[in-house]
Amino acid sequence: MGVALWSEIVILVAVALLLLLVALFHVAYLTYAERKIIARMQQRLGPNRVGPRGLLQPIADVLKLLHKEDIIPYGVDKPIFHLAPLVSLVCAASGLALIPLWDTFVLSNLNVGLLFLLALSSLSAYGVILSGWASNSRYAFLGALRASAQLISYEIAMSLALLSVVLMAGSFNLQDIVKAQMESPFKAYIIPQIIAFFIFMVSAIAETNRVPFDLPEAETELVAGYFVEYSGIRFALFYLAEYFGMVVMCALAVTCFLGGYIGPFNIPGLPFFWFLLKLYVLLFFYIWVRATLPRYRYDQLMGLGWKVLIPLGLLNLFFTALLKLWL
Amino acid sequence: MILEMIVFIYLSLGMIIPGILAIISKNPVHAVLWVLVLILHQAFMLFTLGSEFLTAVQIIVYAGAVIVLFLFVVYMINLKREEIWKVFVKKSPLGFVIFLIFIFFFLKSLTFLTALSPHFKAHLPYDLTQGTNLWWIARYLFTHFLFQFELVGVLLLVVVLGAVFLLRKLKEVEGGSL
Repeated sequence: MGVALWSEIVILVAVALLLLLVALFHVAYLTYAERKIIARMQQRLGPNRVGPRGLLQPIADVLKLLHKEDIIPYGVDKPIFHLAPLVSLVCAASGLALIPLWDTFVLSNLNVGLLFLLALSSLSAYGVILSGWASNSRYAFLGALRASAQLISYEIAMSLALLSVVLMAGSFNLQDIVKAQMESPFKAYIIPQIIAFFIFMVSAIAETNRVPFDLPEAETELVAGYFVEYSGIRFALFYLAEYFGMVVMCALAVTCFLGGYIGPFNIPGLPFFWFLLKLYVLLFFYIWVRATLPRYRYDQLMGLGWKVLIPLGLLNLFFTALLKLWL
Repeated sequence: MILEMIVFIYLSLGMIIPGILAIISKNPVHAVLWVLVLILHQAFMLFTLGSEFLTAVQIIVYAGAVIVLFLFVVYMINLKREEIWKVFVKKSPLGFVIFLIFIFFFLKSLTFLTALSPHFKAHLPYDLTQGTNLWWIARYLFTHFLFQFELVGVLLLVVVLGAVFLLRKLKEVEGGSL
């Protein structure tokens, strides 16, 4: 028993590391894609100096951030100051373990996988709150308050949107949700649950602090926010956490609304093709939104969350329950 | 077996040591964070006992909401460390008495449970090998304990309405329109 158990653990860790590496690669090239796409939309060229067509730009960025001086300001609470970026990153990245990438490939197939993803997203508020407090700076502290209020309010809307998916599928298990979609008449929940999909995407943008809801880090009009005192590699960790958050949120949307890894037909030799295709479409949507929409004001942001999205989510949940009852 | 033992010892130490640190740390923010560490270990103790749903709820409700609110309160009122310490030392005899009472009840319930444990399976209202934990919780909440469940729901609604009512009064006094 002992050997089998240990070998199982070793294999699990190896697969987890592989998944993390692939995800890191995606995150690195997501930054490149974002810069290129936004440049195209603004009629610029974007990064084109490092490597052919600027393809090595993410590597250059990482090297630059690693070499920068790691400044620790006077009067910070050192252990918490060091811990906060890691909390952000871990909470954002470990969601990947729960997403079913293929019907035989999911790192941990939990019965309450969706609830765990919500739990991780609620824990990610700690990275924001702790970094703001530990920095011992008024700007960082105010930024943290602003950001955590936003995170907490949009989490409710997001949970309501996901709950209607759970009602439709009758399970919290992400693998079962994908299979339930395969058996449903439309093959994906985006058609019957279009309102939930809309609510989820809007709140996912707010949860990951992206334009048009990027008030926690509105560089162009407010001081950056909770991570204003961070520099070098620690700043890079926050940056990584944001992009990991984007990837995980899009993967969750693919799993819950777009039918997961299931496509109209199977492509031999490319098992993850449909999942990745859907993921890239949603990531492109994120970047497109960033290039198109201006930033919201803070009261507009809170008003949208509490007065539009949450009541809409509750109504949608109610009608989904009625639908489930009568059909 | 050995792995289970190691995990169990780690999780129990992860609950006991942060609990003690939460009491003795002078910085209130650190104290709240130690409670957070404690709650996360507690959640995973529930996970090892096979209750995935309770783990998720523990993290969402306690770690994700209650401790965040605690942190906000601690930030906002900006307690002076020395003053808390003084109050803590002054009140500690009373605290010790309450601690002893708790320990008494704890041991009492523990002896009751160990006496019960041989017939524990028979006392459970359901068979855990059939259906998931979540399924049984849902089934019992919506059939056997439906009235209590709805009662708690009404209670929470009253709390929300109370908070809104308090806020309205505050606005009227200020006379401002937010």
